[in-house]
Amino acid sequence: MTARGVSLGGLWRARHTVRARLALGYAGVFFVSGLVLLAIPAGFVHGGSTSSAVTAHPSGPGTRVDVIARSQHSSDVHQLILGSVVALVVLVAVSGLLGWWLAGRLLRPLRTITETARDISASNLHRRLALAGPDDEFKELGETLDDLFARLEASFDSQRRFVANASHELRTPLTAERTVLQVALADPAGDAESLRVACGQVLALGEQQERLIDALLTLATSERGLDDREPCDLADIAATVLASRSASIERAGLELELALSRAPVDGDRALLDSVVTNLLDNATRYNHPGGRIAIITGTNDDGRTTLTVANTGPTVPPEELARLFRPFERITADRTGASDRHGLGLAIVQAIAEAHHASIRARARSGGGLDIEISFAAG
Amino acid sequence: MRVLVVEDFEVLAQSLATGMRREGMAVDVALDGVTALEHLSLTRYDVVVLDRDLPGVHGDEVCRRVAADSPSSRILMLTASGTLRDRVGGLELGADDYLAKPFDFPELVARVRALGRRSAPALPPVLACGDLTLDSSRRVATRAGRHLDLSPKEFALLEYLLSCAGRVVSAEELLERVWDEAADPFTTTVKTTIRRLRAKLGDPPLIATVREAGYRIGTP
Repeated sequence: MTARGVSLGGLWRARHTVRARLALGYAGVFFVSGLVLLAIPAGFVHGGSTSSAVTAHPSGPGTRVDVIARSQHSSDVHQLILGSVVALVVLVAVSGLLGWWLAGRLLRPLRTITETARDISASNLHRRLALAGPDDEFKELGETLDDLFARLEASFDSQRRFVANASHELRTPLTAERTVLQVALADPAGDAESLRVACGQVLALGEQQERLIDALLTLATSERGLDDREPCDLADIAATVLASRSASIERAGLELELALSRAPVDGDRALLDSVVTNLLDNATRYNHPGGRIAIITGTNDDGRTTLTVANTGPTVPPEELARLFRPFERITADRTGASDRHGLGLAIVQAIAEAHHASIRARARSGGGLDIEISFAAG
Repeated sequence: MRVLVVEDFEVLAQSLATGMRREGMAVDVALDGVTALEHLSLTRYDVVVLDRDLPGVHGDEVCRRVAADSPSSRILMLTASGTLRDRVGGLELGADDYLAKPFDFPELVARVRALGRRSAPALPPVLACGDLTLDSSRRVATRAGRHLDLSPKEFALLEYLLSCAGRVVSAEELLERVWDEAADPFTTTVKTTIRRLRAKLGDPPLIATVREAGYRIGTP
Protein backbone atom coordinates (compact mmCIF):
# COMPACT_ATOMS: atom_id res chain seq x y z
CA MET A 1 0.00 0.00 0.00
CA THR A 2 2.74 2.40 1.03
CA ALA A 3 4.96 1.39 -1.86
CA ARG A 4 2.06 1.92 -4.22
CA GLY A 5 1.41 5.34 -2.69
CA VAL A 6 5.08 6.27 -3.08
CA SER A 7 5.23 5.07 -6.64
CA LEU A 8 2.01 6.85 -7.51
CA GLY A 9 3.43 9.98 -5.92
CA GLY A 10 6.58 9.54 -7.94
CA LEU A 11 4.53 9.05 -11.07
CA TRP A 12 2.53 12.15 -10.26
CA ARG A 13 5.67 14.15 -9.76
CA ALA A 14 7.31 12.79 -12.88
CA ARG A 15 4.23 13.42 -14.98
CA HIS A 16 3.34 16.80 -13.63
CA THR A 17 6.53 18.75 -13.09
CA VAL A 18 6.34 20.47 -16.46
CA ARG A 19 2.64 21.09 -15.93
CA ALA A 20 3.24 22.51 -12.44
CA ARG A 21 6.12 24.64 -13.66
CA LEU A 22 4.04 26.01 -16.50
CA ALA A 23 1.12 26.75 -14.14
CA LEU A 24 3.47 28.47 -11.70
CA GLY A 25 5.05 30.30 -14.59
CA TYR A 26 1.68 31.64 -15.75
CA ALA A 27 0.80 32.72 -12.24
CA GLY A 28 4.25 34.27 -11.76
CA VAL A 29 4.12 36.25 -14.99
CA PHE A 30 0.62 37.40 -14.14
CA PHE A 31 1.74 38.40 -10.66
CA VAL A 32 4.74 40.36 -11.89
CA SER A 33 2.82 42.13 -14.63
CA GLY A 34 0.02 42.85 -12.13
CA LEU A 35 2.58 44.37 -9.73
CA VAL A 36 4.04 46.51 -12.50
CA LEU A 37 0.56 47.66 -13.50
CA LEU A 38 -0.16 48.54 -9.87
CA ALA A 39 3.19 50.24 -9.34
CA ILE A 40 2.79 52.60 -12.32
CA PRO A 41 -0.37 54.40 -11.09
CA ALA A 42 0.87 54.24 -7.47
CA GLY A 43 4.21 55.81 -8.44
CA PHE A 44 2.42 58.30 -10.64
CA VAL A 45 0.12 59.37 -7.81
CA HIS A 46 3.03 59.56 -5.36
CA GLY A 47 5.31 61.50 -7.76
CA GLY A 48 2.42 63.84 -8.78
CA SER A 49 1.70 64.85 -5.13
CA THR A 50 5.38 65.70 -4.43
CA SER A 51 5.69 67.93 -7.48
CA SER A 52 2.36 69.68 -6.65
CA ALA A 53 3.72 70.38 -3.09
CA VAL A 54 6.83 71.99 -4.56
CA THR A 55 4.88 74.17 -6.95
CA ALA A 56 2.28 75.10 -4.28
CA HIS A 57 4.70 76.78 -1.85
CA PRO A 58 5.75 79.88 -3.84
CA SER A 59 2.12 80.72 -4.71
CA GLY A 60 1.30 81.22 -0.96
CA PRO A 61 -2.50 81.32 -0.67
CA GLY A 62 -4.74 78.22 -0.85
CA THR A 63 -2.18 75.89 0.68
CA ARG A 64 -4.48 74.56 3.39
CA VAL A 65 -7.24 73.58 0.98
CA ASP A 66 -4.58 71.90 -1.05
CA VAL A 67 -3.42 69.82 1.93
CA ILE A 68 -6.97 68.68 2.80
CA ALA A 69 -7.64 67.74 -0.78
CA ARG A 70 -4.33 65.94 -0.85
CA SER A 71 -5.12 63.81 2.26
CA GLN A 72 -8.55 62.95 0.83
CA HIS A 73 -6.86 61.97 -2.41
CA SER A 74 -4.19 59.83 -0.63
CA SER A 75 -6.82 57.81 1.27
CA ASP A 76 -8.56 57.11 -2.10
CA VAL A 77 -5.26 55.98 -3.52
CA HIS A 78 -4.63 53.68 -0.56
CA GLN A 79 -8.06 52.14 -0.96
CA LEU A 80 -7.47 51.72 -4.67
CA ILE A 81 -4.10 50.05 -4.00
CA LEU A 82 -5.60 47.75 -1.34
CA GLY A 83 -8.43 46.74 -3.70
CA SER A 84 -5.95 46.17 -6.50
CA VAL A 85 -3.73 44.02 -4.27
CA VAL A 86 -6.70 41.86 -3.26
CA ALA A 87 -7.77 41.62 -6.91
CA LEU A 88 -4.20 40.76 -7.86
CA VAL A 89 -4.02 37.96 -5.29
CA VAL A 90 -7.34 36.51 -6.46
CA LEU A 91 -6.39 36.84 -10.11
CA VAL A 92 -2.98 35.26 -9.51
CA ALA A 93 -4.71 32.29 -7.88
CA VAL A 94 -7.20 32.11 -10.76
CA SER A 95 -4.44 32.42 -13.36
CA GLY A 96 -2.52 29.68 -11.56
CA LEU A 97 -5.53 27.37 -11.81
CA LEU A 98 -6.18 28.40 -15.42
CA GLY A 99 -2.51 27.84 -16.19
CA TRP A 100 -2.69 24.40 -14.60
CA TRP A 101 -5.69 23.51 -16.72
CA LEU A 102 -4.23 24.99 -19.90
CA ALA A 103 -0.84 23.32 -19.40
CA GLY A 104 -2.62 20.01 -18.80
CA ARG A 105 -4.52 20.42 -22.06
CA LEU A 106 -1.47 21.40 -24.06
CA LEU A 107 0.66 18.64 -22.62
CA ARG A 108 -1.93 15.92 -23.18
CA PRO A 109 -0.40 14.81 -26.56
CA LEU A 110 2.95 14.52 -24.80
CA ARG A 111 1.41 12.17 -22.25
CA THR A 112 -0.11 10.09 -25.06
CA ILE A 113 3.27 9.96 -26.80
CA THR A 114 5.02 8.81 -23.62
CA GLU A 115 2.43 6.13 -22.86
CA THR A 116 2.34 4.77 -26.41
CA ALA A 117 6.11 4.88 -26.78
CA ARG A 118 6.45 2.97 -23.53
CA ASP A 119 4.03 0.38 -24.86
CA ILE A 120 5.93 0.03 -28.13
CA SER A 121 8.72 -2.34 -27.18
CA ALA A 122 10.80 -4.64 -29.34
CA SER A 123 7.94 -7.12 -29.50
CA ASN A 124 5.28 -4.54 -30.22
CA LEU A 125 7.11 -2.46 -32.79
CA HIS A 126 4.34 -2.55 -35.37
CA ARG A 127 2.30 -0.03 -33.31
CA ARG A 128 2.52 3.61 -34.27
CA LEU A 129 1.69 6.87 -32.44
CA ALA A 130 -0.26 8.23 -35.45
CA LEU A 131 -1.06 11.53 -33.65
CA ALA A 132 -4.15 13.34 -34.89
CA GLY A 133 -4.63 17.07 -34.55
CA PRO A 134 -3.04 20.24 -35.87
CA ASP A 135 0.40 20.38 -37.48
CA ASP A 136 2.23 21.52 -34.36
CA GLU A 137 5.45 20.63 -32.58
CA PHE A 138 3.86 17.59 -30.94
CA LYS A 139 2.71 16.17 -34.25
CA GLU A 140 6.19 16.73 -35.60
CA LEU A 141 7.65 14.88 -32.60
CA GLY A 142 5.11 12.07 -33.08
CA GLU A 143 5.97 11.75 -36.75
CA THR A 144 9.68 11.72 -35.99
CA LEU A 145 9.16 8.95 -33.44
CA ASP A 146 6.92 7.01 -35.86
CA ASP A 147 9.70 7.22 -38.44
CA LEU A 148 12.17 5.95 -35.87
CA PHE A 149 9.88 3.05 -34.93
CA ALA A 150 9.40 2.15 -38.59
CA ARG A 151 13.14 2.04 -39.15
CA LEU A 152 13.69 0.06 -35.95
CA GLU A 153 10.98 -2.41 -36.95
CA ALA A 154 12.51 -2.87 -40.40
CA SER A 155 15.93 -3.42 -38.89
CA PHE A 156 14.63 -5.90 -36.28
CA ASP A 157 12.71 -7.71 -39.00
CA SER A 158 15.71 -7.99 -41.28
CA GLN A 159 17.84 -9.20 -38.39
CA ARG A 160 15.24 -11.81 -37.42
CA ARG A 161 15.03 -12.95 -41.05
CA PHE A 162 18.80 -13.07 -41.25
CA VAL A 163 19.13 -15.24 -38.15
CA ALA A 164 16.35 -17.57 -39.30
CA ASN A 165 17.96 -17.89 -42.73
CA ALA A 166 21.45 -18.36 -41.34
CA SER A 167 20.22 -21.08 -39.01
CA HIS A 168 18.46 -22.80 -41.91
CA GLU A 169 21.50 -22.55 -44.17
CA LEU A 170 23.75 -23.98 -41.49
CA ARG A 171 21.43 -26.66 -40.12
CA THR A 172 20.53 -28.21 -43.46
CA PRO A 173 24.07 -29.13 -44.57
CA LEU A 174 24.71 -30.33 -41.01
CA THR A 175 21.69 -32.64 -41.29
CA ALA A 176 22.92 -33.82 -44.67
CA GLU A 177 26.37 -34.62 -43.21
CA ARG A 178 24.84 -36.60 -40.39
CA THR A 179 22.44 -38.47 -42.67
CA VAL A 180 25.13 -39.34 -45.21
CA LEU A 181 27.33 -40.78 -42.45
CA GLN A 182 24.54 -42.62 -40.61
CA VAL A 183 23.17 -44.13 -43.84
CA ALA A 184 26.66 -45.19 -44.93
CA LEU A 185 27.50 -46.73 -41.55
CA ALA A 186 24.18 -48.59 -41.34
CA ASP A 187 24.66 -50.20 -44.76
CA PRO A 188 25.06 -53.96 -44.16
CA ALA A 189 26.58 -54.33 -47.63
CA GLY A 190 28.82 -51.31 -47.09
CA ASP A 191 32.41 -51.59 -48.29
CA ALA A 192 35.44 -49.33 -48.48
CA GLU A 193 34.16 -47.82 -51.72
CA SER A 194 30.74 -46.79 -50.36
CA LEU A 195 32.38 -45.33 -47.26
CA ARG A 196 34.83 -43.44 -49.47
CA VAL A 197 31.94 -41.92 -51.40
CA ALA A 198 30.24 -40.92 -48.14
CA CYS A 199 33.45 -39.34 -46.81
CA GLY A 200 33.84 -37.38 -50.05
CA GLN A 201 30.29 -36.08 -49.72
CA VAL A 202 30.80 -35.04 -46.11
CA LEU A 203 34.03 -33.22 -46.99
CA ALA A 204 32.28 -31.36 -49.79
CA LEU A 205 29.49 -30.39 -47.40
CA GLY A 206 32.08 -29.19 -44.89
CA GLU A 207 33.74 -27.00 -47.51
CA GLN A 208 30.37 -25.57 -48.41
CA GLN A 209 29.71 -24.65 -44.79
CA GLU A 210 33.16 -23.14 -44.51
CA ARG A 211 32.41 -20.88 -47.47
CA LEU A 212 29.10 -19.92 -45.91
CA ILE A 213 30.78 -19.03 -42.61
CA ASP A 214 33.45 -17.01 -44.47
CA ALA A 215 30.71 -15.17 -46.31
CA LEU A 216 28.82 -14.46 -43.09
CA LEU A 217 32.02 -13.14 -41.51
CA THR A 218 32.74 -10.89 -44.50
CA LEU A 219 29.20 -9.58 -44.30
CA ALA A 220 29.47 -8.87 -40.58
CA THR A 221 32.92 -7.26 -40.98
CA SER A 222 31.84 -4.99 -43.80
CA GLU A 223 28.66 -3.96 -42.00
CA ARG A 224 30.82 -2.82 -39.09
CA GLY A 225 32.65 -0.32 -41.32
CA LEU A 226 36.24 0.17 -42.41
CA ASP A 227 39.16 -0.06 -40.00
CA ASP A 228 41.85 1.21 -42.30
CA ARG A 229 41.98 2.52 -45.83
CA GLU A 230 44.75 2.34 -48.35
CA PRO A 231 45.01 3.58 -51.92
CA CYS A 232 43.88 0.78 -54.29
CA ASP A 233 43.24 0.51 -58.00
CA LEU A 234 40.05 -1.35 -58.93
CA ALA A 235 41.58 -2.22 -62.32
CA ASP A 236 44.41 -4.11 -60.54
CA ILE A 237 41.99 -5.85 -58.22
CA ALA A 238 39.73 -6.87 -61.10
CA ALA A 239 42.71 -8.26 -63.03
CA THR A 240 43.85 -10.32 -60.03
CA VAL A 241 40.36 -11.73 -59.42
CA LEU A 242 39.95 -12.51 -63.12
CA ALA A 243 43.17 -14.49 -63.13
CA SER A 244 41.79 -16.83 -60.47
CA ARG A 245 38.36 -17.11 -62.11
CA SER A 246 39.30 -17.47 -65.78
CA ALA A 247 39.08 -21.28 -65.67
CA SER A 248 35.52 -21.33 -64.33
CA ILE A 249 34.44 -18.64 -66.81
CA GLU A 250 35.90 -20.68 -69.64
CA ARG A 251 34.23 -23.84 -68.34
CA ALA A 252 30.89 -22.06 -68.36
CA GLY A 253 31.50 -21.14 -72.01
CA LEU A 254 31.27 -17.40 -71.40
CA GLU A 255 32.79 -14.57 -73.39
CA LEU A 256 34.61 -11.89 -71.40
CA GLU A 257 34.75 -8.21 -72.32
CA LEU A 258 37.22 -6.10 -70.40
CA ALA A 259 37.76 -2.34 -70.24
CA LEU A 260 40.04 -1.84 -67.27
CA SER A 261 41.30 1.73 -66.93
CA ARG A 262 42.84 3.18 -63.80
CA ALA A 263 40.23 3.43 -61.02
CA PRO A 264 41.74 4.73 -57.77
CA VAL A 265 39.82 4.14 -54.55
CA ASP A 266 40.79 4.67 -50.91
CA GLY A 267 39.56 1.53 -49.25
CA ASP A 268 40.08 -1.91 -47.80
CA ARG A 269 41.82 -4.04 -50.42
CA ALA A 270 40.50 -7.39 -49.12
CA LEU A 271 36.90 -6.14 -49.07
CA LEU A 272 37.16 -4.56 -52.53
CA ASP A 273 38.57 -7.86 -53.75
CA SER A 274 35.50 -9.53 -52.27
CA VAL A 275 33.21 -7.10 -54.16
CA VAL A 276 34.77 -7.99 -57.52
CA THR A 277 34.83 -11.72 -56.70
CA ASN A 278 31.17 -11.81 -55.69
CA LEU A 279 30.01 -9.77 -58.68
CA LEU A 280 32.03 -11.92 -61.06
CA ASP A 281 30.85 -15.19 -59.48
CA ASN A 282 27.26 -14.02 -59.69
CA ALA A 283 27.70 -13.00 -63.31
CA THR A 284 29.17 -16.42 -64.10
CA ARG A 285 26.58 -18.41 -62.18
CA TYR A 286 23.45 -16.66 -63.40
CA ASN A 287 24.39 -16.70 -67.06
CA HIS A 288 23.67 -19.01 -69.94
CA PRO A 289 26.13 -20.95 -72.10
CA GLY A 290 27.62 -18.72 -74.78
CA GLY A 291 26.67 -15.65 -72.74
CA ARG A 292 28.83 -12.61 -71.99
CA ILE A 293 30.33 -10.86 -69.00
CA ALA A 294 31.64 -7.30 -69.21
CA ILE A 295 33.85 -5.67 -66.57
CA ILE A 296 34.53 -1.96 -66.81
CA THR A 297 36.57 0.13 -64.38
CA GLY A 298 37.49 3.82 -64.63
CA THR A 299 36.64 7.34 -63.55
CA ASN A 300 33.74 9.29 -64.99
CA ASP A 301 33.46 13.00 -65.78
CA ASP A 302 32.64 14.18 -62.27
CA GLY A 303 35.67 12.39 -60.86
CA ARG A 304 33.84 9.40 -59.37
CA THR A 305 35.49 6.00 -59.66
CA THR A 306 33.19 3.34 -61.07
CA LEU A 307 33.17 -0.44 -61.35
CA THR A 308 30.58 -2.00 -63.67
CA VAL A 309 29.89 -5.69 -64.04
CA ALA A 310 27.31 -6.62 -66.68
CA ASN A 311 26.18 -10.07 -67.68
CA THR A 312 23.69 -11.86 -69.88
CA GLY A 313 21.44 -14.39 -68.19
CA PRO A 314 17.88 -15.10 -67.12
CA THR A 315 15.46 -12.18 -67.11
CA VAL A 316 15.15 -10.47 -63.74
CA PRO A 317 11.86 -8.63 -63.13
CA PRO A 318 12.79 -5.03 -62.16
CA GLU A 319 10.68 -5.27 -59.00
CA GLU A 320 12.84 -8.20 -57.85
CA LEU A 321 16.06 -6.16 -57.99
CA ALA A 322 15.93 -4.83 -54.42
CA ARG A 323 15.24 -8.34 -53.08
CA LEU A 324 18.49 -9.63 -54.60
CA PHE A 325 20.55 -7.45 -52.27
CA ARG A 326 18.94 -8.99 -49.18
CA PRO A 327 20.86 -11.85 -47.54
CA PHE A 328 19.95 -15.39 -48.68
CA GLU A 329 17.84 -14.24 -51.60
CA ARG A 330 18.63 -15.79 -54.96
CA ILE A 331 17.84 -14.77 -58.51
CA THR A 332 16.28 -18.11 -59.37
CA ALA A 333 14.20 -20.16 -56.98
CA ASP A 334 16.52 -23.14 -57.03
CA ARG A 335 18.63 -24.01 -54.03
CA THR A 336 19.90 -27.44 -54.94
CA GLY A 337 22.46 -28.10 -52.27
CA ALA A 338 25.08 -29.43 -54.64
CA SER A 339 26.19 -25.92 -55.54
CA ASP A 340 27.72 -23.34 -53.26
CA ARG A 341 25.04 -20.69 -53.74
CA HIS A 342 24.51 -19.28 -50.32
CA GLY A 343 22.70 -16.18 -51.52
CA LEU A 344 24.96 -13.75 -49.66
CA GLY A 345 26.98 -12.43 -52.64
CA LEU A 346 25.05 -9.28 -53.44
CA ALA A 347 24.31 -8.57 -49.77
CA ILE A 348 28.08 -8.60 -49.17
CA VAL A 349 28.66 -6.33 -52.19
CA GLN A 350 26.12 -3.87 -50.86
CA ALA A 351 27.52 -3.88 -47.31
CA ILE A 352 31.05 -3.29 -48.58
CA ALA A 353 29.90 -0.52 -50.92
CA GLU A 354 28.11 1.17 -48.02
CA ALA A 355 31.24 0.89 -45.86
CA HIS A 356 33.11 2.73 -48.66
CA HIS A 357 30.31 5.33 -48.99
CA ALA A 358 29.83 4.12 -52.55
CA SER A 359 26.49 3.89 -54.31
CA ILE A 360 25.15 0.85 -56.16
CA ARG A 361 22.94 0.99 -59.20
CA ALA A 362 21.46 -2.29 -60.41
CA ARG A 363 19.56 -2.51 -63.67
CA ALA A 364 17.82 -5.52 -65.17
CA ARG A 365 18.90 -5.84 -68.83
CA SER A 366 16.01 -6.01 -71.25
CA GLY A 367 17.32 -9.19 -72.88
CA GLY A 368 17.98 -10.86 -69.51
CA GLY A 369 20.88 -10.50 -67.08
CA LEU A 370 22.04 -7.69 -64.84
CA ASP A 371 24.05 -4.46 -64.97
CA ILE A 372 25.56 -3.55 -61.62
CA GLU A 373 27.49 -0.29 -61.26
CA ILE A 374 29.28 0.76 -58.10
CA SER A 375 30.33 4.35 -57.95
CA PHE A 376 32.84 5.55 -55.34
CA ALA A 377 33.06 9.16 -54.20
CA ALA A 378 35.96 11.06 -55.75
CA GLY A 379 38.98 10.29 -53.58
CA MET B 1 5.24 -48.39 -47.94
CA ARG B 2 5.37 -45.59 -50.50
CA VAL B 3 7.19 -42.47 -49.34
CA LEU B 4 7.79 -39.12 -51.01
CA VAL B 5 10.80 -37.13 -49.82
CA VAL B 6 10.46 -33.41 -50.57
CA GLU B 7 13.73 -31.63 -49.78
CA ASP B 8 15.54 -28.99 -51.81
CA PHE B 9 19.01 -29.81 -50.50
CA GLU B 10 19.89 -32.49 -53.01
CA VAL B 11 22.63 -34.33 -51.10
CA LEU B 12 20.30 -34.69 -48.12
CA ALA B 13 17.33 -35.76 -50.27
CA GLN B 14 19.29 -38.46 -52.10
CA SER B 15 20.94 -39.72 -48.94
CA LEU B 16 17.55 -39.98 -47.18
CA ALA B 17 16.12 -41.85 -50.16
CA THR B 18 19.06 -44.30 -50.25
CA GLY B 19 18.77 -45.03 -46.56
CA MET B 20 14.99 -45.43 -46.60
CA ARG B 21 15.04 -47.68 -49.66
CA ARG B 22 17.44 -49.92 -47.80
CA GLU B 23 14.82 -50.09 -45.03
CA GLY B 24 12.38 -51.54 -47.54
CA MET B 25 10.44 -48.38 -48.34
CA ALA B 26 9.56 -47.32 -51.86
CA VAL B 27 10.91 -43.78 -52.01
CA ASP B 28 10.49 -41.01 -54.59
CA VAL B 29 12.33 -37.69 -54.36
CA ALA B 30 11.12 -34.19 -55.24
CA LEU B 31 13.55 -31.26 -54.99
CA ASP B 32 10.95 -28.49 -55.01
CA GLY B 33 7.32 -27.81 -54.21
CA VAL B 34 6.07 -27.87 -57.80
CA THR B 35 7.55 -31.32 -58.49
CA ALA B 36 6.20 -32.53 -55.16
CA LEU B 37 2.66 -31.47 -56.09
CA GLU B 38 3.05 -33.21 -59.48
CA HIS B 39 4.10 -36.44 -57.78
CA LEU B 40 1.25 -36.16 -55.29
CA SER B 41 -1.33 -35.77 -58.05
CA LEU B 42 -0.15 -39.00 -59.73
CA THR B 43 0.59 -41.36 -56.83
CA ARG B 44 -0.93 -42.02 -53.45
CA TYR B 45 1.87 -41.87 -50.88
CA ASP B 46 1.59 -43.35 -47.41
CA VAL B 47 4.00 -40.82 -45.94
CA VAL B 48 5.32 -37.51 -47.24
CA VAL B 49 8.60 -36.31 -45.68
CA LEU B 50 8.37 -32.58 -46.28
CA ASP B 51 10.98 -29.87 -45.77
CA ARG B 52 9.27 -26.71 -44.59
CA ASP B 53 11.55 -24.21 -46.36
CA LEU B 54 11.12 -25.12 -49.99
CA PRO B 55 11.88 -22.82 -52.91
CA GLY B 56 9.08 -22.16 -55.38
CA VAL B 57 5.97 -23.47 -53.65
CA HIS B 58 6.64 -23.22 -49.90
CA GLY B 59 6.49 -26.34 -47.72
CA ASP B 60 3.52 -24.91 -45.82
CA GLU B 61 1.55 -24.65 -49.05
CA VAL B 62 2.47 -28.22 -50.06
CA CYS B 63 1.41 -29.36 -46.58
CA ARG B 64 -1.97 -27.61 -46.88
CA ARG B 65 -2.56 -29.15 -50.31
CA VAL B 66 -1.62 -32.67 -49.18
CA ALA B 67 -3.84 -32.39 -46.10
CA ALA B 68 -6.74 -31.22 -48.29
CA ASP B 69 -6.33 -33.43 -51.37
CA SER B 70 -4.89 -36.70 -50.03
CA PRO B 71 -6.12 -37.09 -46.46
CA SER B 72 -4.82 -40.67 -46.28
CA SER B 73 -1.20 -39.49 -46.70
CA ARG B 74 0.63 -38.78 -43.45
CA ILE B 75 2.99 -35.80 -43.38
CA LEU B 76 6.28 -35.63 -41.49
CA MET B 77 7.60 -32.10 -41.59
CA LEU B 78 11.31 -31.33 -41.45
CA THR B 79 12.20 -27.91 -40.15
CA ALA B 80 15.47 -26.06 -39.70
CA SER B 81 13.93 -23.35 -37.60
CA GLY B 82 15.27 -22.68 -34.13
CA THR B 83 12.14 -21.34 -32.47
CA LEU B 84 9.52 -23.64 -31.01
CA ARG B 85 6.70 -21.72 -32.67
CA ASP B 86 8.16 -22.21 -36.13
CA ARG B 87 8.96 -25.82 -35.41
CA VAL B 88 5.47 -26.82 -34.31
CA GLY B 89 3.75 -24.40 -36.73
CA GLY B 90 3.52 -27.12 -39.38
CA LEU B 91 1.25 -29.21 -37.16
CA GLU B 92 -1.44 -26.54 -37.45
CA LEU B 93 -1.30 -26.80 -41.23
CA GLY B 94 -2.09 -30.49 -41.24
CA ALA B 95 1.28 -32.14 -40.66
CA ASP B 96 1.12 -35.29 -38.50
CA ASP B 97 4.57 -35.03 -36.99
CA TYR B 98 7.68 -32.91 -37.20
CA LEU B 99 11.41 -33.41 -36.87
CA ALA B 100 13.86 -30.56 -36.27
CA LYS B 101 17.09 -30.45 -38.26
CA PRO B 102 19.63 -31.78 -37.60
CA PHE B 103 17.98 -35.11 -36.82
CA ASP B 104 19.22 -38.69 -36.58
CA PHE B 105 18.41 -40.90 -39.52
CA PRO B 106 17.17 -43.87 -37.40
CA GLU B 107 14.72 -41.52 -35.68
CA LEU B 108 13.40 -40.35 -39.04
CA VAL B 109 12.90 -43.95 -40.18
CA ALA B 110 11.11 -44.88 -36.94
CA ARG B 111 8.79 -41.90 -37.25
CA VAL B 112 8.04 -42.54 -40.93
CA ARG B 113 7.22 -46.13 -40.09
CA ALA B 114 4.95 -45.14 -37.21
CA LEU B 115 3.15 -42.71 -39.53
CA GLY B 116 2.88 -45.37 -42.25
CA ARG B 117 1.05 -47.63 -39.83
CA ARG B 118 -1.43 -44.83 -39.15
CA SER B 119 -2.11 -44.44 -42.86
CA ALA B 120 -5.77 -45.50 -43.14
CA PRO B 121 -6.80 -48.08 -42.11
CA ALA B 122 -4.70 -48.17 -38.96
CA LEU B 123 -2.59 -51.32 -38.66
CA PRO B 124 -1.30 -53.08 -35.57
CA PRO B 125 2.51 -53.11 -35.17
CA VAL B 126 2.55 -56.92 -35.52
CA LEU B 127 0.78 -58.47 -38.50
CA ALA B 128 -0.05 -62.19 -38.50
CA CYS B 129 -1.48 -64.87 -40.74
CA GLY B 130 -1.66 -68.42 -39.43
CA ASP B 131 1.76 -69.27 -38.00
CA LEU B 132 3.38 -66.32 -39.80
CA THR B 133 4.04 -63.12 -37.84
CA LEU B 134 5.61 -59.89 -39.05
CA ASP B 135 6.76 -57.16 -36.66
CA SER B 136 6.93 -54.05 -38.82
CA SER B 137 8.76 -51.82 -36.33
CA ARG B 138 11.41 -54.38 -35.31
CA ARG B 139 11.69 -55.60 -38.93
CA VAL B 140 11.38 -59.25 -37.91
CA ALA B 141 9.33 -61.95 -39.64
CA THR B 142 8.92 -65.47 -38.25
CA ARG B 143 7.09 -68.59 -39.36
CA ALA B 144 6.23 -71.17 -36.70
CA GLY B 145 8.85 -69.52 -34.47
CA ARG B 146 11.52 -69.80 -37.17
CA HIS B 147 13.21 -66.52 -38.13
CA LEU B 148 12.86 -65.64 -41.84
CA ASP B 149 15.84 -64.05 -43.54
CA LEU B 150 14.11 -61.62 -45.93
CA SER B 151 15.55 -58.88 -48.12
CA PRO B 152 14.04 -55.40 -47.55
CA LYS B 153 11.97 -55.69 -50.74
CA GLU B 154 10.68 -59.16 -49.81
CA PHE B 155 9.83 -57.89 -46.34
CA ALA B 156 7.97 -54.88 -47.74
CA LEU B 157 6.07 -57.11 -50.17
CA LEU B 158 5.04 -59.51 -47.41
CA GLU B 159 4.08 -56.57 -45.19
CA TYR B 160 1.83 -55.12 -47.87
CA LEU B 161 0.14 -58.47 -48.62
CA LEU B 162 -0.49 -59.02 -44.90
CA SER B 163 -1.87 -55.49 -44.50
CA CYS B 164 -4.43 -56.30 -47.20
CA ALA B 165 -5.69 -59.16 -45.00
CA GLY B 166 -6.93 -61.73 -47.47
CA ARG B 167 -7.80 -59.28 -50.28
CA VAL B 168 -6.55 -60.08 -53.80
CA VAL B 169 -3.79 -57.65 -54.73
CA SER B 170 -2.90 -57.06 -58.38
CA ALA B 171 0.70 -56.99 -59.63
CA GLU B 172 0.16 -53.35 -60.69
CA GLU B 173 -0.93 -52.40 -57.19
CA LEU B 174 2.10 -54.15 -55.70
CA LEU B 175 4.32 -52.31 -58.15
CA GLU B 176 2.83 -49.00 -57.08
CA ARG B 177 2.76 -49.60 -53.33
CA VAL B 178 6.02 -51.48 -52.80
CA TRP B 179 8.24 -50.28 -55.63
CA ASP B 180 9.13 -46.65 -56.37
CA GLU B 181 8.79 -44.77 -59.64
CA ALA B 182 12.15 -46.09 -60.83
CA ALA B 183 10.63 -49.58 -61.25
CA ASP B 184 9.91 -50.61 -64.83
CA PRO B 185 6.21 -51.58 -65.09
CA PHE B 186 7.00 -54.14 -67.81
CA THR B 187 9.49 -56.23 -65.88
CA THR B 188 8.82 -59.48 -64.08
CA THR B 189 10.24 -58.02 -60.88
CA VAL B 190 7.00 -58.60 -58.92
CA LYS B 191 6.78 -62.20 -60.12
CA THR B 192 10.43 -62.90 -59.25
CA THR B 193 10.19 -61.36 -55.81
CA ILE B 194 6.98 -63.33 -55.08
CA ARG B 195 8.74 -66.52 -56.15
CA ARG B 196 11.72 -65.84 -53.86
CA LEU B 197 9.39 -64.93 -50.99
CA ARG B 198 7.39 -68.16 -51.41
CA ALA B 199 10.61 -70.17 -51.31
CA LYS B 200 11.68 -68.47 -48.08
CA LEU B 201 8.27 -68.84 -46.44
CA GLY B 202 8.39 -72.62 -47.04
CA ASP B 203 5.49 -75.07 -46.78
CA PRO B 204 2.58 -75.13 -46.57
CA PRO B 205 2.30 -72.29 -49.17
CA LEU B 206 0.73 -69.08 -47.85
CA ILE B 207 0.66 -66.86 -50.93
CA ALA B 208 -1.89 -67.91 -53.51
CA THR B 209 -1.94 -66.77 -57.13
CA VAL B 210 -5.42 -65.78 -58.24
CA ARG B 211 -5.67 -66.24 -62.00
CA GLU B 212 -5.98 -62.95 -63.97
CA ALA B 213 -6.28 -61.00 -60.71
CA GLY B 214 -3.13 -61.12 -58.63
CA TYR B 215 -1.95 -62.48 -55.29
CA ARG B 216 -3.54 -63.16 -51.93
CA ILE B 217 -2.17 -64.16 -48.56
CA GLY B 218 -4.25 -66.33 -46.21
CA THR B 219 -7.87 -67.27 -46.68
CA PRO B 220 -10.25 -64.81 -48.34
